[in-house]
Amino acid sequence: MVRFVALKGRTQGIRWSQSPSVKEKGKAFGLMLLSLFLVLTQSACTNVVVVHGSLPTPLVEKIPARLGVYYSEEFQSFQHRENLPQSGAFEIDLGKQNLYFFRNLSSALFAEVREIDSPELSAEQGLELDAVIIPSIVEYGFLVPAMSTLTFHEVSIRYQIQLKDRYGKNLGLWSFVGYGKAEASTFGAGEAVGEATMLAIRDGGARIATEVAPAIATALKEAGIGHQKELAK
Amino acid sequence: MIIRCTVILCLFLSGCVTSRIEQSRDTVTGIQADEAMVILGRASYNDRETKASFTECIEAELSAGRGAIRLIPQDKFKDDLYPWFEPRTAPASASDLGRLFAEPGVRARIDEAKIRYLAWIEGDTLTTDKGGSMSCTLTTFGGGCFGMSYWEQDASYQASIWDVNQLTSAGKISADASGTSYIAGLVIPIPIIARPGNAACKGLASQLREFILGGN
Repeated sequence: MVRFVALKGRTQGIRWSQSPSVKEKGKAFGLMLLSLFLVLTQSACTNVVVVHGSLPTPLVEKIPARLGVYYSEEFQSFQHRENLPQSGAFEIDLGKQNLYFFRNLSSALFAEVREIDSPELSAEQGLELDAVIIPSIVEYGFLVPAMSTLTFHEVSIRYQIQLKDRYGKNLGLWSFVGYGKAEASTFGAGEAVGEATMLAIRDGGARIATEVAPAIATALKEAGIGHQKELAK
Repeated sequence: MIIRCTVILCLFLSGCVTSRIEQSRDTVTGIQADEAMVILGRASYNDRETKASFTECIEAELSAGRGAIRLIPQDKFKDDLYPWFEPRTAPASASDLGRLFAEPGVRARIDEAKIRYLAWIEGDTLTTDKGGSMSCTLTTFGGGCFGMSYWEQDASYQASIWDVNQLTSAGKISADASGTSYIAGLVIPIPIIARPGNAACKGLASQLREFILGGN
């Protein structure tokens, strides 16, 4: 096949040398082809991963407490960049989707939620809020089939949630992993990693709703914070 | 004439599949016209899980034709009941349904959608053997493929049906299918494809429909 194409190219080369205008056109066409090749190879090397998918509201009982939630700048714009020897570079932007999910999740978990711009409460905020939670992404990792020898792409996100009372006293720290996996996609590894990331965020949310939230409720109760049932109504 | 020839050729080129369907019933079943069923693929954190394409095939078979059953799409069901049917939290057996239904809002949402049965589909299609060799060449004088290669696939699936009203297991249906596919290279490659996964889907869906509508 390669030999066939090379022979054809040589034949066309002889024909170009007969007319200067055709030769110039050929050069321009060649440059265009080279540019296209460079563009294609550059984009093939970096997998820009778009994370999207359904982020449902959890069906759980609200914890009767008024909480401030602090999303750090790093959490809001979390990105992961990694260069894999066999699979190329990956650029995964999950901050936006993760933030959207956490906003939805925290509103469903607590009676009253307010986003705050500092992990410490001001005197005024201290009067209106019972405690503060600070979610963070500690680690993001992914595996492609070439590395794991399995047929799917895997993603793990290690989250941490810190709970503080209105005076800044630490009430608890929970660390857990959200895991997702997705089959290799026809549209490349990027799409599969994106889908696995979405499932890992979703799994992390399931762990928060079923494991961390009850633990937070217990910690708040033990600290004598916001246990009035009517708050939830 | 062309269509008839194509159909005959397709039938001729389809590989042989042998399948076996087995059923065990625990309770009397039946479904009202307004009641629904959900087909759920069992996902796990190991290297094997039921592919979405298989559950979609079952859904397509059950919701069409005579005796169609009203189905709630799996993704919608999981979103509506999030986080209770995620791989980490999904009930492992029908006896766990009682505990799950005690969670606030779960029973109400199931009742609202009029869901009567949950059918958990577990299993996958594996390539158990492959061999042979085939090479294709292309030159300035033409090209062609010579040789033969084959692969054997085994599809093994099980459906566990849970009665949501009675919070018990209604029964189980299993489907096993196996077949060997060939590609023979006689200048042009001629594929003779066996589709055990498709046979298992059709067999399982047909039996599942009979099971749900069949009664006792």
